[in-house]
Amino acid sequence: MDKTNETEKQKHVLIVEDDEFLRSLTAKRLEKEGYRIDVAVDGENAISLLETIKPDIVLLDLLLPGKDGFEVLKNIRASATVKTVPVVIFSNLGQKEDIQKANALGVEDFLIKANFTLDDVVSKINKLVGK
Amino acid sequence: MEVPERRSLIEIGKTPINPLVFWGVITLTLLVVLALIINTAGVTNGIHWLLVVPIVAYLLIMGFFIGYTHKLQKERDRLMVEKIREEEVKIGEVKKLNHELEAYAKQLFDKDFELSLANKRLQSLEQAKSKFVSVTTHQLRTPLAAIKWTFHMILGGNMGPITADQKNFLQKGYDSAERMITIINDLLNVDYIEADRSDYNFTAVDLIKLSEGILFEFTNPAESKKIKLDLIKSVDGLPTVAADPIKIGMVLENLVDNAIKYTPVGGRVTIHLSDARINSARSSLEVIVSDGGIGIPAAERDKIFHRFFRGSNAVRLEPNGTGLGLFIARDIIEKHGGDIWFESKEGAGTNFHFTLPVFRGSETKTP
Repeated sequence: MDKTNETEKQKHVLIVEDDEFLRSLTAKRLEKEGYRIDVAVDGENAISLLETIKPDIVLLDLLLPGKDGFEVLKNIRASATVKTVPVVIFSNLGQKEDIQKANALGVEDFLIKANFTLDDVVSKINKLVGK
Repeated sequence: MEVPERRSLIEIGKTPINPLVFWGVITLTLLVVLALIINTAGVTNGIHWLLVVPIVAYLLIMGFFIGYTHKLQKERDRLMVEKIREEEVKIGEVKKLNHELEAYAKQLFDKDFELSLANKRLQSLEQAKSKFVSVTTHQLRTPLAAIKWTFHMILGGNMGPITADQKNFLQKGYDSAERMITIINDLLNVDYIEADRSDYNFTAVDLIKLSEGILFEFTNPAESKKIKLDLIKSVDGLPTVAADPIKIGMVLENLVDNAIKYTPVGGRVTIHLSDARINSARSSLEVIVSDGGIGIPAAERDKIFHRFFRGSNAVRLEPNGTGLGLFIARDIIEKHGGDIWFESKEGAGTNFHFTLPVFRGSETKTP
């Protein structure tokens, strides 16, 4: 199996996270699982990246500078190309209203960062993208 | 208030000239005219005089009757005026009452307005507070998540092999981060704890097991302060209680955590379980958490269960408390249909008591 082939088979995760340390930890952990990782540091960044890279799954933070996670989510669900991409909210917001709002827009899961470990996130993503 | 129509009625009642005088003058005039006629006609026989007498008598009687009638009329008018005056006074009173009523109505309206304003202010305050809590907890949870994940990755061997000793220490660090996250989640939940009774899951709970578990959780903090933890059962074979084990666990955690925090080094903290069925009409168990701590100042006893309130001596000793523990505890116990109270002596210690209903089966779903 050559390298190009392997890259093609790799599932592609877009991590949208403004906190640098959390972003690098998450990326590191998922790379270790054999995922191809792209990162976006804010909402605008995420929206422009989404159309070009067409990820297999999006790990989306909610509190972001500028356009927040809800805006990004609305954008995804209104888009022609990435409308059906699975989105997992990975945020520290977690009030009932936030969860309801996200569910109404269509998300696979809502994880509160502090209440989960990266291992939990890995197993969630494995399940969702059929790895 | 003046009533013009009524006033004119009173005026009508007053005749300007006395009729007695009026008729007297007419009678005298007639007499003089008659006398003149008789004189000019030169009539001197008695027939004319005989005619004059009844006329004069008639006029006099008429005058008298008219005078009398007038007197009666005057009396009637006086009574009428009096009645009208009375009525006017009454009307005045009614008007005054009306005014007062209007004033009260206005006051009521103003009060209502003030109340709805205050209510609105309270609502917006409540919203601001919720928002504040939400943002703060988010800001706190983010770095805590980073700490937790780091510990977890190292513990899981993702960053290379570690020794058993290192693992032991890292586990403690991880546990502390977890504990802090729990506290923050509590803070966030406090808004909902008040509102949501439906979140309670009432089952048969063995308080002995639950208490042992809680005391075990606190082994480390107790050891570090050389505090002795004890569980005392006053009788054997205690029945189970109808409770939500997670919520009651939270109550016990809060009480034991406080007890250890505010008891000096080398002290003692005890959970005492007893059967309260003997001295109470309600079938319940009583839990007492006792400490040898700083106590609650007498002046602050009423406020101790208030949200965010902390005893002044507690704040001095431990500046980093939320003042939510006892508030949450009371709310949870009350939602179980139990009571919570305490007795305390400043500088000597505190006993927190709470009761929980004995489990009787599914009927305890909503106590």
